[in-house]
Amino acid sequence: MNSSPPKPVLTAESLTVDRGGHQVLSGVEFSIAQGEIFALLGGNGAGKSTTLLTFLGFVTPTSGVARVNGQSVHEDIKAIHKQVAYLPEAANLYPHLNARENLDYFLSLAKADNSRARIDSALDMVGLAASARDRRLEAYSKGMRQKVGIALAILRDAPILLLDEPTSGLDPVAIDEFNSLVVALAGEGTTVLMVTHDVYGACQVARHIGLLQKGQMVGDFRASAGNPISADEVHRKFTESHL
Amino acid sequence: MMDKAAVVRIAREEWRFWLRSRTAVAAAAVVFILVITSLVSTAIRIETEREARLQLQAIAEETFRSQPARHPHRMIHYGHYVFRAPAPLATADPGVDPYTGTVMFLEGHKQNSATFSPRYTQADAGPYAFLSPALTYQLLVPLLLIVVGFACLARERETRTDQLVFTMAVNPGSFWLGKSLALAALAFATLVPLGFVAGNAWLQGENGWIALTFWLGYAVYLLCWVFLITACSVWSKRASTSLLALLACWMVLNVLLPRIASSAADAWAPLAGKVQSDLEIARELRDVGDGHNANDPSFAKLRAQLLAQYDVSSVEELPINFRGVVAEAAEEELTETLNRFADRRFDQELAQAELANAFSLLSPYLALKSFSITTASTNIGQHHLFLRSAEALRFSFVQSLNKVHAEVLTYADDVNRSVDQQSEQRTRVDAHHWRVLEDFDWEPASVSDRLSGSLPFFGMLLMWALAASILGWIGTSRGAWSQDG
Ligand SMILES: Nc1ncnc2c1ncn2[C@@H]1O[C@H](COP(=O)(O)OP(=O)(O)OP(=O)(O)O)[C@@H](O)[C@H]1O
Ligand SMILES: [Mg+2]
Repeated sequence: MNSSPPKPVLTAESLTVDRGGHQVLSGVEFSIAQGEIFALLGGNGAGKSTTLLTFLGFVTPTSGVARVNGQSVHEDIKAIHKQVAYLPEAANLYPHLNARENLDYFLSLAKADNSRARIDSALDMVGLAASARDRRLEAYSKGMRQKVGIALAILRDAPILLLDEPTSGLDPVAIDEFNSLVVALAGEGTTVLMVTHDVYGACQVARHIGLLQKGQMVGDFRASAGNPISADEVHRKFTESHL
Repeated sequence: MMDKAAVVRIAREEWRFWLRSRTAVAAAAVVFILVITSLVSTAIRIETEREARLQLQAIAEETFRSQPARHPHRMIHYGHYVFRAPAPLATADPGVDPYTGTVMFLEGHKQNSATFSPRYTQADAGPYAFLSPALTYQLLVPLLLIVVGFACLARERETRTDQLVFTMAVNPGSFWLGKSLALAALAFATLVPLGFVAGNAWLQGENGWIALTFWLGYAVYLLCWVFLITACSVWSKRASTSLLALLACWMVLNVLLPRIASSAADAWAPLAGKVQSDLEIARELRDVGDGHNANDPSFAKLRAQLLAQYDVSSVEELPINFRGVVAEAAEEELTETLNRFADRRFDQELAQAELANAFSLLSPYLALKSFSITTASTNIGQHHLFLRSAEALRFSFVQSLNKVHAEVLTYADDVNRSVDQQSEQRTRVDAHHWRVLEDFDWEPASVSDRLSGSLPFFGMLLMWALAASILGWIGTSRGAWSQDG
């Protein structure tokens, strides 16, 4: 890129977090620009989800700050939530409601457009079968639930997306569709922080990848102009860091 | 600050969850059936009772007044019945009525205690003590609210759906308030039948403010539970913890503390046992002369006084019947003694009630209980009023008859009536004298007395509701944002 980097939307400034009496994030630093897709990789328990929760204000850092558009998350959590759409790790929606009811409820709470047409078009986008939309989520498969969760995140129309393992449980077709969707959104200026275990998928969509290990950033990869990040390189580093 | 649309939406969503959950629907159905059953059956019983007692009262008065001519003292022993007609709101809360007795036999030289109509004597605590509407609302409706609402927030926390809700830029306070609103709406729905009962009591002649206050007291009580439940649900990490904690709360507030309160009242303000006080009364009455025996030495002073007053040398010469005078004097002295014991008993009972009331601070259930019977005028104080009115009536008719005895009968006839047929005939006074019996109409406590008496308990209920809501509010702002609790 030739122009100076756009101003950062999400910044982690030496984030240190304790959970359950253990330090699970130690001085994590990164910065994500507007319209950028940042993929956070790392082994189980590395602290990826914790990082997202810190940006949502659900976990309080013992030192360091998480900033959204320069503002510390803990200063005004509600203001942050207005700009951020979140896909939780285990896409927990209401099992007693069907897909449409779930989306309608959350969107109305968010004061977003919850018209049926809009909801249906989002469900089309994530590829949830029309026949399933009026069935309660308790009768859904994991991937189907995941699709509803993704639909909700998209429907928020938020400038920032925090996605925790969005492709987990999705079939290959759905993963491809999701990847194109995220790229398209980023192209429109949406900033994406995405946690994933899918190294190759991450390299496809993200222009910036962070590798987290035991709460520390051990790798930082950026795509150079025209060249995506090399999945092999990331994979090697990932494996090395686990030795 | 508070997002009204979100609060209402959260509440509606909670209702949808309940309606789709079999447990909640089944629990609600059972409790509603119990509420309606207790209301209808108690209303029918009390209404029947009221009519029966009013009718029996009229019959008793009529029977007394239509007795044929006879010796006035025989009428004193013939006696009279008074019935306590239940207060209109007794259909909602019979209070102490089922335990205190509702019929009293009034006769000379005795203060009988109130008993039950003979047809109810087989039922131990009266016919409607079990599962009155009051008890249903005091004990069972909170249980329903617990069963339906214990998980309202803990459940969301357990599945982390609360976080998703918060990321929709919903205040944790609104979330808590929405859940509380949902539960309050359920509580309100259960109060609709009670509203009909209060309205009906008003139509039956109960004061409108009293009826309204009565209903409001129950509303605030259930609100205490609503906030206790949502507070507990906020503070619990798991739904099961919340349920256990709430059931423990219910046990302590609604079962354990009332037991402790009544045991403490028994221990600190013991009532004199019936046998013991009967013995004491008997001992004191030995010093009161026998009113049937004009020669009893206890009346020597009275005799001397009368002889001096009328300036005669023997009772036979007195213009009034000395036997009647003696009966009157004896009755007065005896009544004074009996009243002293009755007052002592009333004071003891009130002291007990007061002590038990002190526990109302510790339990909204006890506060509501006291509030309810005070407002409905079915508390012990009301029963005392009934007893005092009955005693006043007894004393009045007995003394009126003694006066007839003293003024209408001659001493000579009275003395000779067992040996002389004609004297006997002359001692039978005309039946019109039986009209001295007044109608029994006792005034229950005034509206302002009842309202001011129930006010402290109403205040306590408000305090509880406020405290529980503050507890929930604090839990909301403290716990909601933290993933690790
Ligand atoms: N609720 C919690 N209370 C206490 N400790 C927690 C809690 N959740 C996670 N942790 C700890 O925090 C650390 C980081 O967990 P985190 O969920 O962020 O890992 P992750 O990178 O998302 O792992 P995964 O790939 O398995 O999702 C782990 O050591 C975990 O044990
Ligand atoms: Mg995770």
